[in-house]
Amino acid sequence: MVQALLVGIIAGLGILDERSFGAILFGRPIVLSVFVGLVLGDVKQGIIIGAQLELVWMGIAGIGASTPPDYVTGGVIGTALAIISGKGIGIALAIAVPVAVLAQSLGILVRVINLYFSHKADEYAKQANFKGIALMLWIPAVLFFLSTFLPAFLAMLLGAGRIEALVNAIPKVWLDGLTVAGNLLPAVGFALLLDMLYSKKMVVFFFFGFLLTAYMHLDVTAIALLAACIGIIINFFIKDDNGNGGSDNQLKQDDGNTDNLTEGEIDFE
Amino acid sequence: MNKRLSGKEIRSVFWRSFALQTAFNFEKMQNVGYAYAMIPVVKKLYNKEEEQSKALKRHLALFNSTPAVTPIIMGISAAMEEENANNPESFDSSSINAVKAALMAPLAGIGDSIFFGTLRVIAAGIGLSLSKQGNILGPILFLLIYNIPHFLLRIYGLKYGYKFGVNSLSEIQKNGVMDKIMSVVGIIGMMVVGAMVSTMLKVSTPLKFNMEGASVKLQSIFNQIMPDLLPLLFTLLVFYMIRKKVSVTKLTVFILIFGVLAHVIGIL
Repeated sequence: MVQALLVGIIAGLGILDERSFGAILFGRPIVLSVFVGLVLGDVKQGIIIGAQLELVWMGIAGIGASTPPDYVTGGVIGTALAIISGKGIGIALAIAVPVAVLAQSLGILVRVINLYFSHKADEYAKQANFKGIALMLWIPAVLFFLSTFLPAFLAMLLGAGRIEALVNAIPKVWLDGLTVAGNLLPAVGFALLLDMLYSKKMVVFFFFGFLLTAYMHLDVTAIALLAACIGIIINFFIKDDNGNGGSDNQLKQDDGNTDNLTEGEIDFE
Repeated sequence: MNKRLSGKEIRSVFWRSFALQTAFNFEKMQNVGYAYAMIPVVKKLYNKEEEQSKALKRHLALFNSTPAVTPIIMGISAAMEEENANNPESFDSSSINAVKAALMAPLAGIGDSIFFGTLRVIAAGIGLSLSKQGNILGPILFLLIYNIPHFLLRIYGLKYGYKFGVNSLSEIQKNGVMDKIMSVVGIIGMMVVGAMVSTMLKVSTPLKFNMEGASVKLQSIFNQIMPDLLPLLFTLLVFYMIRKKVSVTKLTVFILIFGVLAHVIGIL
């Protein structure tokens, strides 16, 4: 019961990260799962599962007006039940992915209910009622908290006792299959990121980064630093040397593609 | 009498700006959050209830942008409100919202690609390589790498937005530095995603076949063509589907089922 409550609170605070704490990203699975692990007494497993979930949902961010799958509820419930069942990543994903899709509708519901508070705030503005407007901000905060707290709390309360028996009933080859599927899923995240950053002239850098790691086994930190140098050389030095800024202008056109990620162009439904 | 905002109000706007999306709704989006952040400014600059009410209504208009860049716009709004409070006759108060509306979309485009598209990806890429081994430094590095630039932008964005008012952004855009930074950021993002496909995506096949009596592993042939060929092809396939507007949720569920079945029948 205490564990269920704590896991619920983790989920509730997790959703408020993007809402009320300026999206400092403690609500991402890579961080939130650590706390779930802490509550359930297996921090290491929490970190590892969180990493895999982060990979899967890497391409998902609350951008524009679209409501993405709720990775907070999905991630917390998936991590918690996977740790309890003792079967690791495959189970975490099998639970987390569908739960995130289902929980999305709760997030949408809150955003609809908030219309009422927005209109109410307009009325308070007429009377210059500062406290009223502040209240219209913090009631939705409570709603968002509940939208993830309740599912996580209930899942723990109802599911924790049964998950082990349920998972043990699944044949091993299917469980391994879940892990294999889990290893495939990050491709969605990477593809979404590519979609976000895509432009014809930039694609070559995707392959460049890939080839450097595939053949030369550099790690991600090395690639990020190298990329920064390459980007600076191309944009700040080559242009200055030529004086005509040809390459620079070409790359500049690509910025039009930043449109891609505003206002929910990606279809999450 | 000249009305001036002090550091106290600006600091208060800074902290309140974090709550921007708390009352997100489908009609006016972040409007309540924006108005909430502007309350200290309105309180300080206007004494009459009527003026306060007008200012609050102004900031309850539709607003939607990337949270990280919003303090810049709030700083500009604060500077304009100050101007309005001091010269109510000559200042056109409708320009305050005109500027907000003009800035929120382009800044969101820049903010999203820098913060969500690149910085978060780099932070995750570096954090994940440690997290996968169960190292607590993974999530810690993830938060630090993302939030140090994030907080610097919030602090200085608000400060300079207020200091230079409406002029602050035209200055940056005029000398083209923003375009160059965007381009650098795009290159880093692309290369890191490429690197992650190679290091973090595990796709391999256990299939074997007989060739002139010798058993040949299909995977070793792939490896000879190019290391990590399957992860690359698979990512490009998914990318193609997303470009073709296949829904992400359907794709995810399909891949989950496909992965399990492919393993059960022994392809993956």
